[in-house]
Amino acid sequence: MSWMVIAPELYFLGMAAVFFTLAMIPETDSRRGYITALALAMGGVLVSLVSLKLHGSFSHVYRVDLFSQVFKVLLAVGFFLILCICSELNGIRQENHPEFYLLLSLCTLAMMMLVSSVELLTIYVALELTSYSLYILVALRRGEDLSLEAGIKYFLIGASASAVMLFGMASLYGVTGETYLPALLKELPSHTASPMAIIGLTLTLSGFFFKLALFPFHLWAPPVYQAAANQVTAYIATTTKVAAIALLLRFATLGAETLYMVHVLAALAIASMTLGNLVALIQKDLKRLLAYSTVAHAGYIIIGILCMSESGFAAVIFYAVAYLMMNFLCFLVVEKVAQEGRNVQVPELAGLHRRSPLLALSIMVGVFSLGGIPPTIGFTGKFLIFTAAIEKGYFYLVLVAMINVVVSLYYYALVVKAAYFLKPENGGALIRLPVQLKAVIWAVLAVVIVGGIYPHFIYSVAEAAAGLLR
Amino acid sequence: MNLSFAGFPFLSAIMLTCIGGLVAILLVSREQKDLIRWVSAVSSGLSLLLSIYLFVAYDRNLGGLQFVEKIPWLKPLGISYFNGADGFNLPLLLLTGIVHFTGVLSMWELEERVKEFFALYFVLVTGVFGFFMSMDLFFLFVWYDVSLFPMYPLIVIWGSTRREYGAMKLFLYLLAGSALILPAIIYLVVHSGGGGFDLLKLMQPGTFTPFQQKFAFIFLYLGFGILAGVWPFHTWSPSGHVAAPTSVSMLHAGVLMKLGAFGVMRIAIFLCPAGWQYWAQTMAVLATIGIIYGVLVGLTQKDLKFVVAYSSVSHMGVVGLGLSTVTAEGLSGSLFQMFAHGIMTALLFSSVGYFHDRTETKLIPDLGGMSRIMPVASGYFIVGALAGMGVPGFANFWAELTVFLSSLRVYPVRGVAAISALVISALFMLRVVQKTFYGARNERFARLPDVSLGLGVPRMILVAVLLLFGFFPFLMLDLIQTSVLPFMEGLAK
Repeated sequence: MSWMVIAPELYFLGMAAVFFTLAMIPETDSRRGYITALALAMGGVLVSLVSLKLHGSFSHVYRVDLFSQVFKVLLAVGFFLILCICSELNGIRQENHPEFYLLLSLCTLAMMMLVSSVELLTIYVALELTSYSLYILVALRRGEDLSLEAGIKYFLIGASASAVMLFGMASLYGVTGETYLPALLKELPSHTASPMAIIGLTLTLSGFFFKLALFPFHLWAPPVYQAAANQVTAYIATTTKVAAIALLLRFATLGAETLYMVHVLAALAIASMTLGNLVALIQKDLKRLLAYSTVAHAGYIIIGILCMSESGFAAVIFYAVAYLMMNFLCFLVVEKVAQEGRNVQVPELAGLHRRSPLLALSIMVGVFSLGGIPPTIGFTGKFLIFTAAIEKGYFYLVLVAMINVVVSLYYYALVVKAAYFLKPENGGALIRLPVQLKAVIWAVLAVVIVGGIYPHFIYSVAEAAAGLLR
Repeated sequence: MNLSFAGFPFLSAIMLTCIGGLVAILLVSREQKDLIRWVSAVSSGLSLLLSIYLFVAYDRNLGGLQFVEKIPWLKPLGISYFNGADGFNLPLLLLTGIVHFTGVLSMWELEERVKEFFALYFVLVTGVFGFFMSMDLFFLFVWYDVSLFPMYPLIVIWGSTRREYGAMKLFLYLLAGSALILPAIIYLVVHSGGGGFDLLKLMQPGTFTPFQQKFAFIFLYLGFGILAGVWPFHTWSPSGHVAAPTSVSMLHAGVLMKLGAFGVMRIAIFLCPAGWQYWAQTMAVLATIGIIYGVLVGLTQKDLKFVVAYSSVSHMGVVGLGLSTVTAEGLSGSLFQMFAHGIMTALLFSSVGYFHDRTETKLIPDLGGMSRIMPVASGYFIVGALAGMGVPGFANFWAELTVFLSSLRVYPVRGVAAISALVISALFMLRVVQKTFYGARNERFARLPDVSLGLGVPRMILVAVLLLFGFFPFLMLDLIQTSVLPFMEGLAK
């Protein structure tokens, strides 16, 4: 067993060690720290790309295959994108910057381990490592009591979710005597009649729903999104969601044989879409608005998962890519428009098309993609999910989802209107973007548009990865 | 249906002129407004020339689908980039070309955010052209949505009367339509047994059971019907058209509403003929109500743009009535009506826009005696109004005649009701013309200059087209028949 199989994880571990050292050196130049971080993150993307084709496994605990490697690439890309918008980390105290990078890289490392874990215990350990990094990250925001409150709220709800999940895992073990996922997959169908198995599965999934902010486990999302520093929110909204999707995909296959599970998922999907979109209608804070749109998107993703078919899983993997890209476009604007790292109200976007045409374009493409308007990657993702759902006969679910999409377009259109139409009250200064960031934005825009028009490449990778799930 | 592949991809060339125009506009600096106008005019002129060429070069003896281009796109799902031209879409491609070009010319005097306006306008037109030429369900849907979303910024930024309300209403209504269409399209594709998204393969008789056709037809008809202004889903159209800037009203009432009617034809009727026959009665009722309702509500309007907008609702009702007859004549008539009404409405909106730019009002009582102040500009509007009344000599006469003859045969009562409503509307239109252009003139506007030759060009083109097809209707009807007749014969079997 070669160590190289886990190259991305090792790389991120090394990165965390570098940040740890930096954190111990007093009075480091924060500019230098940022450039180091950015360079390391870029290296992380390269390493994970190089190891895309690797496969192997450590006994019955850890598996490296195309599925996990695709998600590792996404996580590394997400990490890199978030670091791109950290150049002025003014939402977080200067002396905490090295810790911020340390926690961010640790969290990414933990999620990489998460997507490769195939054993209940490793999953639990990796998940907790992710969560604890996030709890601290949320509370790091400068001078906001709100952020401390949100951090504690997040911690308490998160800890309860972990407890529930652990209880579920214990029940699963109790029924089947297995903790290895593929073995569980083989064992579980013979126990579908046992309420213990169903309760165990539901409770375990609840833990993951918490991460995905699916109704009714979404309560933490709006306050946390609102209170955390903009970069941290962006990270939670993009990268951690990718990991949650991966985890759900690994687990959902367990429930494939039980119709009961599908009904539960369908009900949750409908509730999540409807509630998320309706509450988002009245939000003024852009981050809160995006938090509720996340809740709605969790619903769309669940539709793809409850199909329990290969095309459904492929569609969800495709959607994970789309989700990362389009949410990044929105949070990028939040970060750049925010003054002194504060929050952004929707009307504050006024005059953005004059202040920075590129940012205005980003938010328009971003929200229209979230709203599923072609030719964007968000449309293609929804299209693939809906196709998979109708193949399985869930016409009504797709109809409900489409009606929800229309509801969501109302608040997305208001965001576009603010950026393009409203006149700013006090002129509004131009927003200057560094050239490197401009290049990154254009690249993400290209992925969103090209992925929407010509999804062939991403879809074929997603299909191959989904094929490994059974 | 026989396919003739294109030696030169003319259809894609049209798309390329639009996308090329868009890119060129984006590259020009926002200060060089004249350059942007010229770039838009040249590229829209090229699109117009190409669409005229296609209209003329289509081999009417051969029939079938010509100028076909087909490239596999997303193989696992059976999606291909598949374009073709036939008697159904050629009139509409020509219509789009004409309205696109004249729309650019009508906006020549725009000064505010010129670059963004034309960029969004070109995105919209790209979607429209794509929708009319595509033969692949996936692309049909993509182009459909691409042509809808620019409407929102276009109206909100450059619009007038209650623009925020009008824009949001229009945007949500139309996308609610697409929310019904997408599930239906996927439903059909999934149940086709591996036909993919290829419209021709899905059209084969026996692909869908009668139940599936009836079921999917409801969603497709309602979805596209919203855009076609079918009563009672038309309410977005008057408020949206009134709020929109001139060329957007032209394009929207002239072309986009046809997108809906064409969608009903190309997707709902083609794929679900059994559903079509089953629901035809209901369609006829809705269309007749739409005709009468449009006329009656139009009677009470004081705003010129509202008058034109409600007349659109009733004229689109005529299209719907033709579609609901399930006869070859009805189908041909409604296609012809789509074309004729598109040109006529574009002319009316273009003229109203001209008055509005000068006088800054479009209320009928505020105008008055305009024909003595701006005789030429008034002339254009009056010609448009006459065409709308169905006066012989204009294309609309033949279109409405064909529809009414066939509808009288199939639905006598509804046909008579619809015709009498249109007679009332003619009387009413005359009153509008009289109040606006004759009578005492408003001294406030007495010094305004008449329309110059250059600015009159778009309206001249539109009048010429109305007259051309008014005197030589067979130019259009022959072309339409090459596709309608084989389709109806295939249906009878």
